[in-house]
Amino acid sequence: MKNILMGNDAIALALIHANVDMMSGYPGTPSSEILGNFAKFRDKFGVEAYAEWATNEKVGFEVAYAGAIAGRTTCATMKQVGLNVASDALMSASYIGLKGAMLLIAADDPGFHSSQTEQDSRSFAKFAKIPVLDPATPQEAYNMVKLGIEISHKFETITMLRPVMRVCHAREICDVDEKLDFNPPKGEFKREITRWAAVPPAGRFKQGLEQFARIEAIKEYNWTELIEPKVKKLKGAKTLCLTSGTGTGYVIEALEEMKLEADVLKLDMPYPLPKEKIEALFGDYDKVIVFEEPYPCIEEQLSSPKLHGKLTNDVHKIDEFTKDKVLMAFSNVGLIDKNSFYKSEKYADELPVRPPNLCPGCPHRDVYYSVMKVFKKKKSIYPSDIGCYTLALNQGAIDTVLCMGASISMASGFSIADPSKTVVATLGDSTFMHSGVSPLINAVYQNHKFVLLILDNSTTAMTGRQKTPERINPGKIDIKKIVEGCGVECHEYEYTPEIDKTIDFMKFIKTKYEEATGPVVAVIREFCVLDKERAPEKLPQVFAEVNEEKCVACDICTTVYKCPPMHYNENDKIEIDPFLCIGCAACLDDVCPTDAFVKVVK
Amino acid sequence: MKYQVVIAGIGGQGAVFLVKVLSIAASLKDQKCLGTENHGMSQRGGSVSCYVKVGDFHSPAIDQGQADLLIALEGNEGLRNIQYLKKGEGTIIVNADSKFPEIAYETIKIDAFAKARKDEFPIQALNVYMLGITLARDPHFPFSLNDIEEAIQQMNAKMAPKNIEVLHQAIEDARDI
Repeated sequence: MKNILMGNDAIALALIHANVDMMSGYPGTPSSEILGNFAKFRDKFGVEAYAEWATNEKVGFEVAYAGAIAGRTTCATMKQVGLNVASDALMSASYIGLKGAMLLIAADDPGFHSSQTEQDSRSFAKFAKIPVLDPATPQEAYNMVKLGIEISHKFETITMLRPVMRVCHAREICDVDEKLDFNPPKGEFKREITRWAAVPPAGRFKQGLEQFARIEAIKEYNWTELIEPKVKKLKGAKTLCLTSGTGTGYVIEALEEMKLEADVLKLDMPYPLPKEKIEALFGDYDKVIVFEEPYPCIEEQLSSPKLHGKLTNDVHKIDEFTKDKVLMAFSNVGLIDKNSFYKSEKYADELPVRPPNLCPGCPHRDVYYSVMKVFKKKKSIYPSDIGCYTLALNQGAIDTVLCMGASISMASGFSIADPSKTVVATLGDSTFMHSGVSPLINAVYQNHKFVLLILDNSTTAMTGRQKTPERINPGKIDIKKIVEGCGVECHEYEYTPEIDKTIDFMKFIKTKYEEATGPVVAVIREFCVLDKERAPEKLPQVFAEVNEEKCVACDICTTVYKCPPMHYNENDKIEIDPFLCIGCAACLDDVCPTDAFVKVVK
Repeated sequence: MKYQVVIAGIGGQGAVFLVKVLSIAASLKDQKCLGTENHGMSQRGGSVSCYVKVGDFHSPAIDQGQADLLIALEGNEGLRNIQYLKKGEGTIIVNADSKFPEIAYETIKIDAFAKARKDEFPIQALNVYMLGITLARDPHFPFSLNDIEEAIQQMNAKMAPKNIEVLHQAIEDARDI
């Protein structure tokens, strides 16, 4: 049956077709749609399956892994940096193995489209000694989910699916199963203490040996089931391109379009590789080039003087593939002359940049504006965190971004390292639940003096507004109670677009900070402007325009406040784009030193 | 048949919607289609570019100098992406006013913002409006009005009548370009 599917839809549908009935994880671009779409297909088909977000990737992984120990067919989903969080669990789970099946989806982001690193989850699979499948398109992602579950069950190991952004967010007409035969095995935990709770050294040593044996068996499977059938189809050219995932499409298109002769061998499972068997193929070729992204995962497993790739400086080492980079590799190894077929001139004049920005009307903007107004930049350090609010970088209101939850621990560190400054840390509610609680306990424990503002919009906004714990269970989970439970008072402020009130609250926090001996914590109850349930009643629908006579082009609104509708017009005066303005009216107070923003009277 | 389209705009203008419509249109014609959407970091207001490749392709991304068509929902976002157009052959359909510069590509320009400001069509349908201009003015565009109408219908039946109305209006407006 043909279906037009985005990669993440294809993965979700395949999970149902592969009998997965327990799924957890944590959202992160480009993986975020998988769990929600899985739940949609589940409801559409009227089958029963657990599909719920966890507070973080480690928790989600462990929920799914316990399911697989108890014999269920499960899945954990996350982005590549999420796997860092879940890695503690993964490293042990790969020794222990499982009874049912578990697919671990780690979505990579070559080119840093929306991630802080370009790390390669295939290399992580290699580190953890679990097999990994690397799809090139949504159709392949669909097929590989099913294959991954099969391999997981057969070898009693977690199997990784590693789609990249260009698979997750690609769209393709896919051929999918017509019929749904949803019949997942029931869960039943069977006590086997020496396996599920093996203690070092003897127990784990034995499992370590089993892990080696398992990987050897999977290498053999990789050869006979996945590689050997393709070897028979190779044409016998002088050059062999070994590819993984999306690298394949770029190579095939470049070869076709440039009329170049080469054999392409796509390795569906880039780890573990049957090294000797693959190297034996090299004999018939003059050159072998590896095309994979972003790390040299395949290349590191092979060795031959004929082998070229990132390690030999022939293939680019950072950023996403392009066909131009394929040609560059061909030219670097001496197969073609330098070629500019895939190059074209950019527009020569300077264009106004449009960096990622907070949405018009976003409460975060007012909070950061107020923070800078009250806690002056020269006397402050602003550690922040991962979420939409990271975009307040544009306002100059953020000094550091590291990883989930680090704003609080780094605030501790900065308060010790540079006590002459006031440290004002900011993070969102979902990030606080994810990994903010233990650093806050640490700060109370060690009396670290800084300001922590928890920006609570009750949604995981940046990844598509997944519902957060306190939203799903109101009254049970509450940030204020959690903060108090950590041993510190929690000040609370209900955000309103009247910006003066937000500034007043920051002044109040400043007085609290001056008399404090430990962290000063506040939760700011915000909303997301894209939140259809909550935003409409919060936005006054009062629109702003500019009184050109009053505008002195001082740049304050375009540099410190930075609301997207504000821009210069041909008279060099600020203008508000009526199509972008959402009527929050926040800029009518305080923002303009000459009061040039005025209400639109219709 | 091979046809590559870059759609450029600002987050919130509905570039991704157009990827979906063109993919459905391709499937209706039994053509292969690969597209990719840049979901980016910013929900609203940042630069967005999407690719649609109709025909026998293997990779969803488009390289420089390869696109047959660039649909630009905003002028500067169009200019930011002109390097993707095929030299000498590519067409840009752009929402821009008279200040849009001369460039070395076939340019079809309409000031859709001005029309929306005069309430001639709802700004939320800017994407569909520009698709209508494309239908009217790109002679190589691989889809007919019928294909696109049916794709819009399949995409969202409830919204379809309004979207199709905008599509027709754009085709009408394109006569005056």
